[in-house]
Amino acid sequence: MSGLKLRNVKKSFGAVHVIKGVDLDIEDKQFVVFVGPSGCGKSTLLRMIAGLEQISSGDLFIGDKRMNDVDPAQRGIAMVFQSYALYPHMTVRENMGFALKFAGRPKDEIARRVDEAARILELGKLLDRRPGQLSGGQRQRVAIGRAIVRHPDVFLFDEPLSNLDAELRVHMRIEIARLHKELNTTIIYVTHDQVEAMTLADKIVVLRDGIIEQAGSPLELYDDPDNLFVAGFIGSPKMNLLDGTVEAGGIRLADFPNDLIPSPIAIPAGTAVTVGIRPEHFDPTGTAALDTSVEIIEHLGGETYAYARGTGSNLLTIATDNNRTLKTGDRYQARFNPASLLIFAKDGQRLR
Amino acid sequence: MSNPLALLGRIATYLLLIVAAFVSVFPFFWMMIGATNLSADIIRGKVTPGGALLQNISVFFNSVDMPRILFNSFLIAGLGTALTLLVSSLAGYGFEMFRSKVREKIFGGLLLMLSIPFAALMIPLFIMMANFKMINTYQAIILPTVASIFIIFYFRQATKAFPSELRDAARIDGLKEWQIFLYVYMPVMRSTYAAATIIVFMANWNNYLWPLIVLQTNEMKTLTLVVAGLTSAYTPDFGVVMVGAIFATLPTLIIFFLLQRRFVEGMLGAVK
Repeated sequence: MSGLKLRNVKKSFGAVHVIKGVDLDIEDKQFVVFVGPSGCGKSTLLRMIAGLEQISSGDLFIGDKRMNDVDPAQRGIAMVFQSYALYPHMTVRENMGFALKFAGRPKDEIARRVDEAARILELGKLLDRRPGQLSGGQRQRVAIGRAIVRHPDVFLFDEPLSNLDAELRVHMRIEIARLHKELNTTIIYVTHDQVEAMTLADKIVVLRDGIIEQAGSPLELYDDPDNLFVAGFIGSPKMNLLDGTVEAGGIRLADFPNDLIPSPIAIPAGTAVTVGIRPEHFDPTGTAALDTSVEIIEHLGGETYAYARGTGSNLLTIATDNNRTLKTGDRYQARFNPASLLIFAKDGQRLR
Repeated sequence: MSNPLALLGRIATYLLLIVAAFVSVFPFFWMMIGATNLSADIIRGKVTPGGALLQNISVFFNSVDMPRILFNSFLIAGLGTALTLLVSSLAGYGFEMFRSKVREKIFGGLLLMLSIPFAALMIPLFIMMANFKMINTYQAIILPTVASIFIIFYFRQATKAFPSELRDAARIDGLKEWQIFLYVYMPVMRSTYAAATIIVFMANWNNYLWPLIVLQTNEMKTLTLVVAGLTSAYTPDFGVVMVGAIFATLPTLIIFFLLQRRFVEGMLGAVK
């Protein structure tokens, strides 16, 4: 059993509080992604789990053992860094076997485990090269290989794909997903890219300013965000967020004063709210509509996005069900089903 | 090249370079030529090779206990360089890697001490060595230079380019701090070590004033002292002095050419 438990974990650098109390349960063999904007503390939290940063207060358990003061090498973890952090003066083989050599493992066991990792990652031909002779993607695979040979209970990935180009990133993302299936271990993965988070995770932890905004499965976070921040962060293109006020027959949006839209939930009249609707939840067969004028059209082939506005300055992003005839300047009735609206109070919390 | 001003500028540049090249190369040339001439010819200003090279060499070896002198010089310069690099790079690594409130203050204080000339330290240092009963010993030459502020500064600057993720990776791989230094930092920073080797070895090899004061018997003297001693006779034999100068220059030249590529990398601060 190699689940993790974090109990009221805090971290401060002098007077600066970076992690402000995190409670989190990670189950064995789960793929957990920490996601959030830069500076939210996600990398710091990962480094605290790795033992590279001291935990200021709170408890960290890996399995059933409290790990706060345990040496990084004794925690049963392995880490893959954003910059790969391969030892430049060693060959790929030496890089991968380095930890085992230091742990005093016999030579034949090291060779066996390095070869096994090389097979999984298709690194066989590169074993005698040095990191300087490898491409970015190959280095990343070596860095993962170095983690694999240690047979860790928990893999930690710190923005491993950030330095790769877009195409390679998609490829490596699939590799990592495959790896998780094959190795069947707990993975904690840090990224600021919500697409990576959505595609890889069993569980996403959204962080902001050192606290957890919400944790749950990708679809839970997508369908049922707890607050404005998570709603805006998860999903691509981003959710449209419009200010409005509740009236007797529905909600009147500031940007669409002529349309009174039905509210999916009962809210007292006069309440100021923010209404969220995802671009892909606009539906030509919907029962409610916003009258917009189209400013920009994006044809992606499979889908056509319209960027349109009401009377205000905010642009709505609308998936038009691939309406290829739409042009800039057209009036467009953006139809939707009121049930797909998400309503948030002024403090950003979701109203259900 | 049609612009006369540009042409003039170019001519001035080349003139300046020629003068600079002359100033730096001529002494070397003069040393080589001088070694082949008799003292009288050298004084007369003869600048063509002569036939007295073998004679000068034999006089030099007859007047100097060369094996002993070379042993002294190499021991002091070699051991001194190794210890200086070890201690100063450890200090530079420590200054850069470990956060502390007083770190910058201590470092600033160290840099301030760079401004104290050696002449001001000489007498207190001598008294200290006398109290430690280390006058006329190798330690007296080596120990005062082992913690070189300049080299500490140099290593600290170079360490800024050392990726801290390498240290993190090594910690996760189970290395203790000293093992990280030994197995990761030192190999990764080898260009910096090469550049520092040249600087420190040359400084140690050419060191004159302090050995002159501390080394008092002939069998302890270094090559620099001995060559300088050759000029102190009433009628110095300059041909022999030039032969000595060549022997005194050779090791630094050899080390420089061996480490030249790394020296340039190190000066550029390359971490690869």
